[in-house]
Amino acid sequence: MSSVEPVPGTAASAVPAVPAASAGPTLPATPTGDVIHDIGFRHYDGHRFGRGWVVRSLLVETVRGVFGLGRPAKSKVMPWVLIGILLIPPLVIAIVILLTGSDELSISYTQYPGSMELVISLFVAGAAPYCVSRDLRHGVMPLYLSRPMRRSDYVLAKFAGLAISMFAVLALAETLLLVGALLMKLPVGAQIVGWAGGILTVAILALILSGIALVIAAFTLRRGLGVAAIITGLLVVSGVVQILIAIAKDKGYPTAASYLPALNPYSLVDGLAVRLLGVDPSNGTAYPAGPLGLLVYGSLAVATVGACLAILIRRYHKVGGV
Amino acid sequence: MSTLVLDHVSRWYGNVVAANDVTMTIGPGVTGLLGPNGAGKSTLIAMMGGFLAPSAGTVTLDGTPVWRHPGIYRTIGLVPETEAMYDMVTGWQFVVANARLQHLPDAEGAALAALETVEMVDAKDRDISTYSKGMKQRVKMAIALVHDPMVLLLDEPFNGMDPRQRLHLMDLLRRLGEQGRTVLFSSHILEEVEEIAGTIEVLVAGRHAASGDFRRIRRLMTERPHKYTISSSDDRRLAAAIIADGSADTVDLTSGNLAVQAPDLGVFVHALPRLARDSGIRLLDVSPADESLESVFAYLVAR
Amino acid sequence: MDPFTGDRDFTGGRDPGDASAAGRSVVVENLTRTFGPVTALSQLNVEMPEGVVGLVGANGAGKSTLIKVLLGLLAPTSGGARVLGLDCATQGLAIRQLVGYMPESECLPPDVSATEFVVHMARMSGLPSAVARERTADTLRHVGLYEERYRPIGGYSTGMKQRVKLAQSLVHDPKLVLLDEPTNGLDPAGRDEMLTLIQRISTDFSISVLVTSHLLGELEKISDHLVVIENGVLQRSTSTADATQLSGVVLVEVTDGGPELVARLRAAGAQVADDGGAHTFTVELAGEWVFDAVQDGAADLGVGLVRMQRRRHHLTEIFRPEQEGADVQR
Repeated sequence: MSSVEPVPGTAASAVPAVPAASAGPTLPATPTGDVIHDIGFRHYDGHRFGRGWVVRSLLVETVRGVFGLGRPAKSKVMPWVLIGILLIPPLVIAIVILLTGSDELSISYTQYPGSMELVISLFVAGAAPYCVSRDLRHGVMPLYLSRPMRRSDYVLAKFAGLAISMFAVLALAETLLLVGALLMKLPVGAQIVGWAGGILTVAILALILSGIALVIAAFTLRRGLGVAAIITGLLVVSGVVQILIAIAKDKGYPTAASYLPALNPYSLVDGLAVRLLGVDPSNGTAYPAGPLGLLVYGSLAVATVGACLAILIRRYHKVGGV
Repeated sequence: MSTLVLDHVSRWYGNVVAANDVTMTIGPGVTGLLGPNGAGKSTLIAMMGGFLAPSAGTVTLDGTPVWRHPGIYRTIGLVPETEAMYDMVTGWQFVVANARLQHLPDAEGAALAALETVEMVDAKDRDISTYSKGMKQRVKMAIALVHDPMVLLLDEPFNGMDPRQRLHLMDLLRRLGEQGRTVLFSSHILEEVEEIAGTIEVLVAGRHAASGDFRRIRRLMTERPHKYTISSSDDRRLAAAIIADGSADTVDLTSGNLAVQAPDLGVFVHALPRLARDSGIRLLDVSPADESLESVFAYLVAR
Repeated sequence: MDPFTGDRDFTGGRDPGDASAAGRSVVVENLTRTFGPVTALSQLNVEMPEGVVGLVGANGAGKSTLIKVLLGLLAPTSGGARVLGLDCATQGLAIRQLVGYMPESECLPPDVSATEFVVHMARMSGLPSAVARERTADTLRHVGLYEERYRPIGGYSTGMKQRVKLAQSLVHDPKLVLLDEPTNGLDPAGRDEMLTLIQRISTDFSISVLVTSHLLGELEKISDHLVVIENGVLQRSTSTADATQLSGVVLVEVTDGGPELVARLRAAGAQVADDGGAHTFTVELAGEWVFDAVQDGAADLGVGLVRMQRRRHHLTEIFRPEQEGADVQR
């Protein structure tokens, strides 16, 4: 078999298919001012930001993405409609106070998230897959991993981004409640205290929901599936826990019935609020009295967030390989 | 004998014409099916393998239409491009199962022979999920060979193979072609095709653009002047002699040797040694510059 | 070096005279990496000079393991490696600031445009936003993406997607890029364009390149240096020039009168061998007089001289040492 390929190195240079940009130096301008500028590849010797900036940047982009900013119009619909729905009750409550002349909110700051479980769950179900499923599904991780950041940086940036977004929305709702209350001339001191409690509550709720939703999203690569899985998961857990509580009460195990709510993120957080802040429980749930109850609820909250992060980091270790 | 004949075959999907009035004959030996992305190679192979019906025209094997004739699968072996395989069985189980599906009298014997041919006997008892891309490809080959077919159709068989595996497969195909079988493979990679294909069939946008030995195809392209690269002891004087002689239209000294364009190849190659000898110039390197499969292919695609 | 047989003193497969530490983009020393019972890399010792280095032969575990180690994402079991003078095991972050990577696999999200995506990736490399935007626009032009850069990547052809992958590896001005099978899935024209682009990266952009490929022909064309790794072990490390030297055999093809010309050459003392065609044969290049003999013989006999060309060595010989006519230098 004859081997008569062209001399190595000459073949490709014979047919440049991509216009060759000049790589030579800029020629100095002639006395008449004519000049050819060099538009070849420019090197960059300027400032390069480190890990901290990059992680913050990723976090900001995640937050923007959750609210549909910088994305096509139809991805703005879900989040903003849900936010709208979330913000209507405070408005309604304010009007009710106006009309009935009551001196306290019909629903407390810490009870409010519990009453809007469905809306909040839908919001996080829509947001979490956007945060992680896309990159995992299309194999983009090698591109992130080959950059000056660690695997855990990526995970933390996404988690923090989602948690901050959730917190922002929920805090906005709480603040609207406060504004409404103040406008209706309710006693300021009590309202501010209540509001602070509400803010603490929604912060913890944001962390827990973000963790759980991200874990589910990281294992269901198709976005639609992820949304469905999260919302189903949260609803099912909620429903099952309700049933179990009812059964426990029915069979005469009130202690068990008071610990079971810890299995549902919403009632877990509510239970913490009730025990820490002394507020009224939402939906009349009974939480365990005594320090043991507080310890269990508290450590479960922390453990959930920690476990979710650990699972996420491990998931990215396995899947996101270069 | 095992000859595949495509007669005015077309295949369309709505308005998308994947194959457009293709007539070709694939006989014994190794034939390479070439074309740019989307030219219709996979469609053609699917039709030859009886997996797709032509929208127009006929595909026949030794006179028998291929479509809806399951009997032809005794004569044809197909190695498709797709990677999907049953991950949970071992290579051995998969090949034996296929041998049984072929109703072979000695399924296990045939399976072993096929695995030996593709050099997968050592790994045959491992799960397919543990195989590399190249190993999976070889198992696919084994399945296609287990019933000793006279016709072998392979769609991009070298995809993902490392150089050693590639050489092995080339040797295998060459051997099968020398045994008188009809081997057709499609490929993007011209250096592979150049090595083993005696005949090439070129598809461009669904149309059959050319057929035959690529060097002879080049010489058929009389509308394109032939390009030659020459290196000698005195390029400039040789250039002058060639121009004076008139056997070449263009002589180019810019690339460090002599690049010539000659409208009539025969006239030029006869004149060259004479001109060199008469001018006292020693020729050091004389070679056609655009007879490689790459150049021929580029010309065919550009028509 | 003998001027026309091309024989040189063989120095064990390494670049002769390239002993300085400067000019080395990657240095691997006794690198071993095991995963339980599987050894992906074994006592690998290789130095890759600047320019374009082709990496071939390592399929599966070996190649991807090496890339992960070089990027500082995987620690060696023993031994080490240095990229651009930085230690892979301890200075991974710094390495990843200076290196670009173009994966073999699909890695582009379909719902954003090339511009958006590359700007995002540029910022993920630490470039300030304004710089990221400008460098993205420039880099997309250099890789050959024009108006299509504003459309979602999902609609791109394979060639365009490869260009986006290449662009994100170049946008932050790395000193070295790792290109993993960059011509995968491209048709001959696309392949040619990508190879030209890769050469430009080295010569025009002054960025070192490490390219992996299964196609020896491609690597012969564009790389300055070649590294062959098989089963985790180094098989060859040689400059392309050394591996593709001219051999001492000339291939001759005439239009007709082959046997007569062969007879004449033999009578003149040349070693002639058959090459499969009636009018094609090979001659041992015992001296420059052989060229004269062929040329004059063709002229005297009045036959056309279609080809008179010295055979070159090819990379395939590394994998097939028994190929006739090849002097394998190992």
